[in-house]
Amino acid sequence: MDMLHRRSFLISGCAASLVSLAPHARADTVRGQKLVVIILRGALDGLAALPPLADSDLEALRAPLIDQKAMPLSDGFALHSAMPGLAAMYQAGQAAFVPAVAGPYRERSHFEAQDLLESGQVARVSPDGWLNRALVRAPAAYSAVSIGPSTPLILRGRPVSATSWSPAALPEPSEDTLQRLRDLYEADPALHSSLDAALKAEVIADGMTPGMSGMGGGGRAGLAQYRVQLEAAGRFLAVSGGPEIAVVGLDGWDTHTGQNQMLQQRLSALDAGLGALRTQLGETWDRTVVVAVSEFGRTVGVNGGGGSDHGTGGLAMLAGGAVKGGRMFGDWPGLKPAALFENRDLMPVVDMRSLFKGLLGDHLGWAPADLDSYVFENSHAARPLSGLV
Amino acid sequence: MSRLQAAIAVTRFGMGARAGDIEAASSDPRGWLEQQIRPQAAVMAGVDGMDQLQSTGDVFAARMRDVAMSGPASPGGATEAQRIIQQRIQREAREGLQREGEARARFGAATPDAFAERWARFWSNHFTVAARNGEMIGLVGPYEREAIRPNVFSSFSRLLGQAVFHPAMLIYLDAARSIGPSTEIGRRRGAGLNENLAREILELHTLGVGSGYSQDDVIAFANALTGWTVNDPRMARLIAAGRGPARRASAPPAGVEPGAAIFIDRLHEPGARVVLGRSYADVGREQAALILEDLAVHPASARHIAIKLARHFVADRPPESAIGRLERVFLETRGDLSALARAVVHLDEAWQSEQKKLKTPDELLVSAMRAAGPQAVFGAAGGMRTVYTSLAQQPFSAPSPAGWPDQAEAWSGGDALMKRIEWADAAARRIARGASPVVFLNQALGDLASARTRQAVLRAESAEQGFTLALMSPEFQRR
Repeated sequence: MDMLHRRSFLISGCAASLVSLAPHARADTVRGQKLVVIILRGALDGLAALPPLADSDLEALRAPLIDQKAMPLSDGFALHSAMPGLAAMYQAGQAAFVPAVAGPYRERSHFEAQDLLESGQVARVSPDGWLNRALVRAPAAYSAVSIGPSTPLILRGRPVSATSWSPAALPEPSEDTLQRLRDLYEADPALHSSLDAALKAEVIADGMTPGMSGMGGGGRAGLAQYRVQLEAAGRFLAVSGGPEIAVVGLDGWDTHTGQNQMLQQRLSALDAGLGALRTQLGETWDRTVVVAVSEFGRTVGVNGGGGSDHGTGGLAMLAGGAVKGGRMFGDWPGLKPAALFENRDLMPVVDMRSLFKGLLGDHLGWAPADLDSYVFENSHAARPLSGLV
Repeated sequence: MSRLQAAIAVTRFGMGARAGDIEAASSDPRGWLEQQIRPQAAVMAGVDGMDQLQSTGDVFAARMRDVAMSGPASPGGATEAQRIIQQRIQREAREGLQREGEARARFGAATPDAFAERWARFWSNHFTVAARNGEMIGLVGPYEREAIRPNVFSSFSRLLGQAVFHPAMLIYLDAARSIGPSTEIGRRRGAGLNENLAREILELHTLGVGSGYSQDDVIAFANALTGWTVNDPRMARLIAAGRGPARRASAPPAGVEPGAAIFIDRLHEPGARVVLGRSYADVGREQAALILEDLAVHPASARHIAIKLARHFVADRPPESAIGRLERVFLETRGDLSALARAVVHLDEAWQSEQKKLKTPDELLVSAMRAAGPQAVFGAAGGMRTVYTSLAQQPFSAPSPAGWPDQAEAWSGGDALMKRIEWADAAARRIARGASPVVFLNQALGDLASARTRQAVLRAESAEQGFTLALMSPEFQRR
């Protein structure tokens, strides 16, 4: 519990709103449900994480990106072999997937897409996030925590009971960022050789042998952060009187090159993180929904670098004791040329807002009217996804 | 083309672009720089926290109050009360230095006249004093504001005189304790000549190393400088001690502020001097100033300064053409610093699109604050100090009288680069809030940003990563 105490509930200007809500409302309405929102920044390749093996077009379109050891689940889908923990949850009815989901955004910029995903808007990013607006209209004295050095847009906005926490040590630059800098420095030999010298020194210091990329194959703390952050989220939610909602942002999913190896590491780290989260939550796990989403999906086809590029339809993963799992949500649009978006991307069939509205409404008790017009403005058309919990 | 020139004006000659700076400079990049060549432009003003900063006089007045409060030193060591006072003095000094560094950083981040600011920092580094101990710690900030900034657009001769005869320099390079060996006080205390200031003026401030001066020149110049000291209690005791049995601290000379530079005739080594083959009569107080005046317009000084300026504005190994041009302007104008600044602006070699200069950590951090706001540095856990310490360029703490190095190899080691990346990564998380790294890149670098960098920033997987890449791009790391 040291981690919690070090910076425990550094509530930023929100003590007042905690107090102002009547305590009896809490006792009446809150039944201890918890929600963890994981944002996989960089765009997860859902087709690689959850390959639709039964789709007859898959093999022809992206053979090099299919995990040959993927574990069959149901409905023709299999789960990447790096996620045995999540597969077991699925078999136990505690995990589910939405295989073709996206927000209303149809361009392919990470920033815009993440900002719209977090602000819950259709076209123009607002300065407040949908979870912030949700807390403003919360059905009870809910509070939230974000894990990370700064509050993400999804929670920013009006003063609500939201807090943030990050591990004491500054997160180190991710391996992915370093690799991108290394690419950038191809044009600057002096900086390039300095960076290589530094990376070699770090590899030695970490006692690691350089991996295939020459970057120490996970020697940097980047991927270990997944587990640290999810574990921290679990501690916050499990503590008595702790927040109901946690937000975790996990970087590193932009797999333009060498995707198979990158995803193997990242999905494995995510799987370990989910396991650690479950352990931390203890019996609270039974009342918890974890939802992991990305700003968009990736191209169906493989690119020239053994990776995939920015796409549209993506994957949402659900886990937790409260999930009515062991099933897929939403139709499968298929991978026939005519079924693809702009002839290249998976066509989304579920609106991301429907997924969030379903969770907020059915799992945490938000009023449908607030969800339709305030949390997600003008979103009547995006009906809440039902049957999730 | 003028957009690229504007970006060069703002980032290479200035301290980096604030939003809109590159546009403001684009109609006439050289004119935009020239209009900053005004004495007032280099003077620090209008910064939060400036009213908290002390003058040299304030520092010494406080020091005298502390000495009075502390009472005489006892043979058995400091008393408890004296220890407490000492601790308070040290704490206040550290806090004062911190305020100085912060005010300087904020001014650098905010000033519209950033070429004047770069010019002032160049000269401050040329005439380095450093907070190497408790005696110096309170003086470094006042020195830059009092001796350097008001004079960087006057003449080199004036700037040199103001720097050398400022109490901070007299103490930093030990002239305040240098005593004429044949004076009565010198004889009582044994040989009291300290050559340090004289040697560094010749080697670092004026002629430059290897320019032909001899050890005899150093000694002669050092003797000429004797007598110049600082009006503080310790010096007063020293002088009083030389008078004989009376060991009480004598009152400072009437009408002289505490901490002022003063010339005490009885500390000055009498006699005529020969420096660089020229004779200087036994005129006492003015002797050192006359030598300085000649040094200030010496051809070797012109060349030395020209090389340093060309290195600062053109490349680590500047072309002879650029050095020669600045050298000629220096000689023709007898070291007119405004003329020299204009010559720098019109140095064609300094307008090449290739960014040859790696920013020092201070240049990097100031440019980041100009582009992204103070939170790029001040928002760090532990504040500005931790960032500057991590990047190894704590303000006012140059490692030697030669100042901070102005060549890439001093700053480009692997670990130094990794520290920059770690800073950028953390800063990116603070400045990415609702901001676009693509917009940032345009504002900060304009047409200097390469297609490769633009694409990398555009393709970053998050706004945070986009900012990290923009801050760490070769174009932002260089100028």
